[in-house]
Amino acid sequence: MYILGISCYYHDASAALLKDGKIVAAAQEERFTRKKHDTSFPINSINYCLKSQNISVRNIDYIGFYEKPIIKFERVLSQHLDMFPLSFKTFLSSTPSWLNEKLRVIKKIKKSLKYNKDVLFIEHHLAHAASFLISPFKKAAIVTIDGVGEWTTTTYGVGNEEEIKLIKEIKFPHSLGLLYSTLTAYLGFSVNNSEYKVMGLSAYGEMDKNKNPYYQKLKKIIDVREDGSYKLDMSYFVYHYADRMPSKKLCGLLDGPVRKNEEITKRYKDIAAAVQLIYEEVLFKILNYVYKETKQENLILSGGCALNSVANGKIVKNTKFKRIWSQPDPGDGGTSIGVASYIYNTILNNKRNYVLSNPYLGPKFTAEQIKDFLDRNKIKYSEFKDEKEIVKKVANLIYKNNVVGWFFDGMEWGPRALGARSILSNPCNPKMQDVLNLKVKHREKFRPFAPVVCEDDALKYFECDNPIPEPTDFMLMVYPIKKQWQKKIPAVTHVDGSGRLQTIRKEQNHLYYNLIKEFGKISGIPILINTSFNIRGEPIVCTPFDAYKCMMGTGIDYLIMNKFLIKREENQKHMWDSEKNARD
Amino acid sequence: MKYFKIFFGAVKNGFKKFGENIALIINSILLSVVYILGIGLTAIISKICGKSFLDRKISGKEKTYWNNLNLKKQPVEKYYRQF
Repeated sequence: MYILGISCYYHDASAALLKDGKIVAAAQEERFTRKKHDTSFPINSINYCLKSQNISVRNIDYIGFYEKPIIKFERVLSQHLDMFPLSFKTFLSSTPSWLNEKLRVIKKIKKSLKYNKDVLFIEHHLAHAASFLISPFKKAAIVTIDGVGEWTTTTYGVGNEEEIKLIKEIKFPHSLGLLYSTLTAYLGFSVNNSEYKVMGLSAYGEMDKNKNPYYQKLKKIIDVREDGSYKLDMSYFVYHYADRMPSKKLCGLLDGPVRKNEEITKRYKDIAAAVQLIYEEVLFKILNYVYKETKQENLILSGGCALNSVANGKIVKNTKFKRIWSQPDPGDGGTSIGVASYIYNTILNNKRNYVLSNPYLGPKFTAEQIKDFLDRNKIKYSEFKDEKEIVKKVANLIYKNNVVGWFFDGMEWGPRALGARSILSNPCNPKMQDVLNLKVKHREKFRPFAPVVCEDDALKYFECDNPIPEPTDFMLMVYPIKKQWQKKIPAVTHVDGSGRLQTIRKEQNHLYYNLIKEFGKISGIPILINTSFNIRGEPIVCTPFDAYKCMMGTGIDYLIMNKFLIKREENQKHMWDSEKNARD
Repeated sequence: MKYFKIFFGAVKNGFKKFGENIALIINSILLSVVYILGIGLTAIISKICGKSFLDRKISGKEKTYWNNLNLKKQPVEKYYRQF
């Protein structure tokens, strides 16, 4: 039985294919269209999913969509009605897309795919919560927090075998996700994209609640109850009727207008720290209340806010939950997997038979395909005999401070590069952060680079929870780096001594695992810098062409694709200027 | 022949853009009418009747802001609906 899950028209469109309860293919549309956070109907992702199994749409038994469009439209209309006449501008700009696209999902699916069966619609937060069905837990508490679904912004409930029950909710316009996004917009970053920058910036601000002047100020805009439920003072926001987020009153509260291109001063850093502090405070209150209500020791965290890896790394210490799990893409992109699993396990009553532990669900390319690409384009390369040779050579290149593009296996599912489309380099070199920024990433200096470490070495270098939570494999947890190692791996040590680490297990990706171990043998420290294979503002590379193009336009020294090593210097034809293309 | 193709291509694109602009203007006029008559009148009547569509107020008296949801498995027919 094949089930196709689809998510689109808001942000991070994606498709996922389930075969007899197991996810066999999944990808975000942005990787194919090369448009970051692409919202459009994910026709390329769907085609990839079908092609990967050599099937056509006739073989699909069910298609599921990640929300109930009419309920969402009801919420949008309610916003226009409640905020009349202030909502006039957004009514004019948003209504055509609702009439032409978002309310015609069935027609679009049937016409684009020539599909003639029914489409199933699952509530948005249920599609988030359904990540429970691909988790290792048989029973767990479930918490979903995001910007907004149909009406819901926060829910909690319980998962038990194939059943999910969402018990309570907080409704729009009160949203922890939109509070964070509003402050993201205030700090001059793009919404639904750069929230992680605020998270990174927060470490530079004052994290002591008593000393941070903006913490008390921001507390005024949210009323939090002891059970973690909350309401926002909407006079500080305009997102419920305008295409902006902070109101003039919020700008007044924060001592100045929305940041445009000004330098990031201490004030902005303190504001970032304050919103992170408030987010964590509310999150832990919610989780402690949910623990009390559900009496479960396992937690499923989902929704876009589950990408807040700084807060995630503190959950076990600050709550009574013993184990936590999130899927690699807990945001809207991940709902295509959620809806497909919900149809198979819950609606159709099939036993769970799959745990998502391997995130390499995207397109993969064989050695023959890559060789064909290289030969056709007259690209100079050398070929390795076996995996041992690859590991030795690449570890040496990284040790000698080269920046290496690493292209193997199926593309990662989710927003993080996890060792299939990664740029790897030496974390022991104190200048490596600048080198990477100068050569490749062109990103803000305050943003840290992430370390990758083999799972069996993680506790030696990082103050992780023990046992190490599985989401660490998907780069969803930030932990402090042990003090004695911080100076030895300066390129991945953030200003507060933390690192957003990825742990890798041999059974997930043995070549990547062996590479890190080999680097450890040479350098004494089995840790690498792992950053996504893209330049700022571009989606992560998908095909060999994307990877080669990215290398040639940047300062990546070597590109390893399967058993082929390409040296940039030997291929001097610049295909693009990455500096010119870098953008948010 | 090549120049003809370029010329007619440009003309076609020009007409397309012109058409898009006309559609935008007509859409805006129609939507403005809908907004004022549909949304506006409903909003005014609702405000007179004391009905609000968004729960924006903080009373401070409520012990909790959690709302009951009770969302669980339903008969399969309900999932065919977009609402």
